[in-house]
Formats: sequence, structure tokens, C-alpha cells
Amino acid sequence: MATRLVFLSLVCGAVSVSVGEHLTTSEVPPKRPYFVDCRSPEQETFSCWWSAGDYQNLTGPGALSVFFQKNRDVWRECPDYSTAGENHCYFNSTYTSIWIPYCVQLRSQIQDIVYHQMCFTVDEIVVPDPPVGLNWTLLNISQTGQHFDILIQWEPPPSADVKKGWISLVYEPQYRAINMSDWKPLEVERACYQSVYGLKTGMEYEIRVRCKQAASEKFSEFSEHLYVYIPKVPTKETLFPFTMILIFGAVGVIIVLMLIIFSQQQRLMVYFLPPVPVPKIMGIDPELLKKGKLDELNSILSGHHTFKPELYNDDLWVEFIELDIDDQDGRSHHSDTHKLLGSENLNGNCLNIKDDDSGRASCYEPELPDSDMLDRSQAEAREEKASLLDSEGRAAHSSTTDPSPPGRSHPGATAEGASRSHPQIQSQLSSQSWVNLDFYAQVSNITPAGGVLLSPGQQSKIEKTAEAHSSPKTQKCQLAMTTDSAYTSEMDAKNISATPSLNGNEPKVTVSPYTVSEAPASSVPPVSDYTTVQAVDSQQSLLLNPSTLPTKGTPMPAGYLTPEQLNSIMP
Amino acid sequence: MSEAYPGLVLLLVLQVCAWVLLLWRCWGVLGYPLDCKDEQGSIISCTSISLEKLLDRVIQHAELIYHVSEESCTLFEEMFVPVSMHTQQNRARNTCITKAFPIPGSKSEIQKISDKWLLHSVLMLVQSWIEPLVYLQKTLDRYDDAADTILNKTKWVTNKLSSLEQGIVELIRKMLDEGLLAVEHQQTLTRFDAQPEVVESILRDYAVLTCFKKDAHKMEVFLKLLKCRHTDKMSCYIS
Repeated sequence: MATRLVFLSLVCGAVSVSVGEHLTTSEVPPKRPYFVDCRSPEQETFSCWWSAGDYQNLTGPGALSVFFQKNRDVWRECPDYSTAGENHCYFNSTYTSIWIPYCVQLRSQIQDIVYHQMCFTVDEIVVPDPPVGLNWTLLNISQTGQHFDILIQWEPPPSADVKKGWISLVYEPQYRAINMSDWKPLEVERACYQSVYGLKTGMEYEIRVRCKQAASEKFSEFSEHLYVYIPKVPTKETLFPFTMILIFGAVGVIIVLMLIIFSQQQRLMVYFLPPVPVPKIMGIDPELLKKGKLDELNSILSGHHTFKPELYNDDLWVEFIELDIDDQDGRSHHSDTHKLLGSENLNGNCLNIKDDDSGRASCYEPELPDSDMLDRSQAEAREEKASLLDSEGRAAHSSTTDPSPPGRSHPGATAEGASRSHPQIQSQLSSQSWVNLDFYAQVSNITPAGGVLLSPGQQSKIEKTAEAHSSPKTQKCQLAMTTDSAYTSEMDAKNISATPSLNGNEPKVTVSPYTVSEAPASSVPPVSDYTTVQAVDSQQSLLLNPSTLPTKGTPMPAGYLTPEQLNSIMP
Repeated sequence: MSEAYPGLVLLLVLQVCAWVLLLWRCWGVLGYPLDCKDEQGSIISCTSISLEKLLDRVIQHAELIYHVSEESCTLFEEMFVPVSMHTQQNRARNTCITKAFPIPGSKSEIQKISDKWLLHSVLMLVQSWIEPLVYLQKTLDRYDDAADTILNKTKWVTNKLSSLEQGIVELIRKMLDEGLLAVEHQQTLTRFDAQPEVVESILRDYAVLTCFKKDAHKMEVFLKLLKCRHTDKMSCYIS
């Protein structure tokens, strides 16, 4: 039972569907004839055309009729069915009025059925003909020869009366490369020409133009296509000078730069790697130090309370040193130290300081190669001095001359060292403890010949210390000697010279760097500024070792010894 | 000398008076710059403009007015007019009633119209549209803010119409040597009352815009024809 019902329902459904299909297809009414469009190409005539739709029996001529109404007047039949073609109704200029409403009707032949009606005004249905007469002219080719610009021109459609101003048209050109699919539109303009920029040589282009009425939206058909082609021009020649110019320019610039760098090397070095500023005493011009203007220096330095400037007191010097005037005349051309050596009384430990350009106008040697060395030497000196001072009984020299021009050597640290050394030196002086400390050896006597005999104050101590600390002492002495400038060198020389004549008062000044002209230098081997002290003899004189010759006997740089030199000098 | 002194003074005074009188009479003849008002309303001295330039300027005005009116029409149609009414069929239903004397529509007829007639037609058209456009501005205000652009365009067009009117008057004066004594503003609101089917304000406004667009086109075409005739008389009369 159920199955039967199902079967029946299925059958009924199928039947109904089929019937329904039939019904739906038949219920669609056939499409009636209708006006496809009306168009006026030049605003002077217009035509309308129609389609019969599904009514195939009405396609033949005369099957349908067109009636029109002008300005809501009477209905009249189409004046011309043939001019415009089949299914067209053409209205010539006599029937055409602009800005006036028209209505057209598509009627059956019997004129009782109106299939379609359309109303319009002629100015709204204006669709012009395409422009004609396309041509192009070359504007220019780029320097590289890759691109070119052209100017395209055309004529308005001949049907449109643009000249009289009856119709105003605007144009839109389009272009594309042949192998491309998209057209590129250009600006819509009133003019009948336009420029196209940036076309590539060696490629063929297509150009077309269309127009429309200014206020309308309907464009005309496109004009005929215009083909533009410019072959590629080999432009190696134009590139060549350009690249050459570039290359030469770059090379020239490089050369100039190199010249500048090499010529101004020093300046550039200073500019880029400025030298580390050396500490200076404020207010002291290094020039003063070079020239040895001690008065100015003293005045400058009087401001520093750490330093007690001691003006050179000639009187004090006179106390210590009596110059041999006779010898002085003969040796007027010699240096100060030589004059000093010519004096008979030599109590002082300082050589006479004459203000000359030798730069060695100090008995205190503030020049120290290293602060470390200075510290060491000073510490040791202090030790010894302390020991010596205790046993000293001599009256202190009131004239603690401290005429060292501290600025003789490099100021700053050395001045500091000098200032540090000054007290001890002063104390030294005051106590007249002319021990053979780092800087000085007491002059015990001066030989008639001008030789200076050095003798330490505290002989025993010296001996002890000398024997005990021979090597350090020698080192110290060496240090002392080496740290000094030419003064100690003189001392050394005198020591050396005094060595052979220690035992007697033989004024054999055999060797002295400053008395070379006088004394025969043959007896004593050439001695440099510095020698080591071998021993102290019975008369408390220093025995210098003449054998050890520093490799560099010739001018030491401003009294400084580098550690390397020092090491080389030391035994 | 003292005897002739009063005589000399009298003579001098008489001369001065005569000169003043003479110059007073000739004041207008000698010519002083016309008081022209520029856009800001300040009085500046005018320089006379050549006929060609004037014609070009007038045509420029007409073209612009037509262009803007067409834009307004399209905008209004897009915004307010229902889609069903967009067809040409319905658009043309809103017929515009022309003025008192009908203007021929066909090209041949228009070409036969004289210069004088052309100018007067244009002037009449311009004058007839100033008031309806003012009225249209008022009605457009009632719309919401969507109609602002249309309102602005309408205002602009109204201003341009006024200046176009001045230009046409000047053209008439120059080309036809006529002086317009009075500017006649016709009442044009009645023309839309004759369309009973137009009830809705939207359609009425749309009708106003479309009709104005047509008349603006007319003005432009007429003026261009006039220019053609002015530049090359012979070819322009041949249809």
C-alpha cells in the first residue's frame, strides 16, 4: 500500500514537473518590436531604428510603421524609411529641430497596436562620427635614443559642423604598443591635436581617437588606427664621450686628493691625530726657557709659592768661587765653566752661572728622565742626606742659592721634581754636606791649572756607602750625573780629569769637553759626558771609570736620558 | 601801472571762469575713465574691451554655464530621481515652455536669424532664468545636505548668468549700437504651473534643471554662431 502511494506520488510529481515546464515556456510572451536607439550624428538630422523582437513575421519592410510627434503636435509618419537602411527611420534637417521634444512610436502596419514609444530631444541623442585624418609628427628623440615624443593631429568628423560652432566636440586619443592589450587613454580635450610623450624607439605603436559632444556622455566610434614606429638608433657614440668624461673626471679628482694628502701630510696628521698636550706651567713661554731669560722666568715663577725664586746673587757666588782673572783673560772665549774652573777658591758646589745661551745656567738640575728614577734617586738621596746631616756640623749656607731656572728643561713635571729636589738640595747646601749624592760632588779644591777636585764631605760615610752600595751608588751617581745636564757632564769631566790627579794637586786637566782646546786630550782616552764611578780614593775623591764609554758620547738630547740609553750606559 | 592793475585782475578772473565753464561742459567729452565695478564691488577704472575679446569672454561664460548645468542635472538625477524615471522617455516628458516668442530649433532656420535677433534671444533667455534659479536655490535648501553640491553649482550659475547678462548687454551696445534702457525681468514662475502633472517637488526641480540645461545649450550655440558670423561672414551663412 505504501509503496503504491509512493509510486503514485512520484509519477504525479514527474508529470507535474513536465507540465509545468511546458506551461512556463509557453507563458513567456514573445518580445515585442521595440526601438533600439535614436541617434543624431551632427545635430542636424537624426534617425531611429528598431527591432522586431520575437515577432519574426514583422521583420520584413512595411510590417511596422513609425510615427513621430514633434513638440506635442500631431502624429506624423516617418518621412524616410530607406535612406538610413532597413528598420531605420531617417529624419532630415527639415524635420529636425533641436531642443524640441520628439516622440516616436513603433506601430504595427494596421496602426492600431503601439509596440513601443520613445521620447527625446535631439540635443540629447547626439553621437558624432569618429574623427578622421589622423597623422603624427616627431617632436624629439631623447639623448639616449631610447624614447621619443610625437604630436598627433586629426580632423573633426566631416559631418559635424564644428567650424560654425553649431556643435562643440571634445576628443580623446588612445595609444598602445602593438603587442599590448590595454589602450592607454590620454586627456579629453577640445583641441584637434595632442602630444604623446615617452614612447620607446624600436616599438610599434597604435593610436586611435574618438570624440563626443562636450556635455554628453556618449562617445563616438573610434577612428581608424594610426601606426607609429621609429627604429632604434645605435647611440654608442653619444654614450662614449659621456663615460670618458666621467672616468677622466674621477681620475683627476683622485689625483688631486692624493696630492693634497701627500702635501699636507703633516698637517693632516696633526689634524687627525693631534699630539698629546704636554703639561706646562701656566704663563711660561717655552721661548723664554730656550733663550735663557732667567729674569723673566723668575718674575713669572715668583707667583708660585711652591717655588722660591732665588735670584742669582753674584755676591754669593763670589763667596764660593773666586775666578782667576788672569786665566779669565786668556780664556775669555771659553765657556763659563772653564772660567769657573780657573778660579782658585772653590767652595761652592755650584758653578758660576752666567746668563748666556748655553742653557746650562743652573746648578740644580731639575731635569729628570723619569719621575720614577727621580723618586728613587731622591729617596736614596734623602736617606743618605739624613744620615749625613746628622753628622754634619757645618754651618748652613745661608745662601741657599737655588738659582736653578726650573724652566730650563721641560717645565711642568720637571719643575715639580725640581721643586721637590730643591728642598733637599737646599738642605744640602745649608748643611754643606757635600756628599756624593745624586746630583753633586763637593769641590774640595781647585787646582791652579783649573782642575776641580771633588771630595765628598763625609768621607767615611761615603766610603761605607760607596763600598756597601757601590753599584747602586754608582748607579745613583750615574743617575745623578746622567740626570743632570751639562753641568754634571762637566762634573764628570772634571771627575774624570781629577781621577788621575787625585793624589796630588796636579792641576792636570787633561780632558774636559769644555777645555778641549787647551788640554791635550791624548793622555786620557776620550771621555763622554758620563762615566761610572769606580771608587772613592783616600782623598775622598771619586775614581771614575774612564773605560766605560757610553755609546753615544755626543750630544745628549737636552740632558734627558731615555731608559734605554741609561741601561746601555750602566755597566 | 597801478591804474591797469584792477583791469588785469578782472581779466584774469574772467579767463579763469571761462576755462572752468569750458572744461565743465567738455567734462564728459574729454573723457574720464568709466566707473566700473569689479567682482568685489570696488570701483576701478575700466579699460575698453575689443569686440572679439568681449565675444570670446561671453562665449566662455556660456560654455561654462552649460557645462555646470549639465553636471547639476546629472547629479540631481543620480541622487534624487528614481531609477525608473531615468529613461529618455520620461526625461523628455518634462517639457519646457519657451518664452513669449518661440525660438526656431532647426539649424537652417536659426542660421537665417539675424544678429540682432540672436542677441536679443540670448539676452531674453538669460534674463528669464535668473529668477527661476534663485527660486531653485530656495527649494534645494529644503533638501538634506546631499544637495549641497547642486546648490553650490546653482548659486555659481546664477552669478555667472548675471555677468553673462552684462556681457550680452555690452555686446548689444557694441554690435548693434543700441542702448538698453531697462532690463526687463520677466516673471517666469508661471511657466511651470502649466504642467499639472508635475506635482512632486523633486520632479519639478528636475524639470527646472533639465530645462535650464537646454536653454544654456541654446545660448552657447547662438553665441558661437554669432562669433562665426563676426569672424567670417561669408562662410557662416552657408548651411
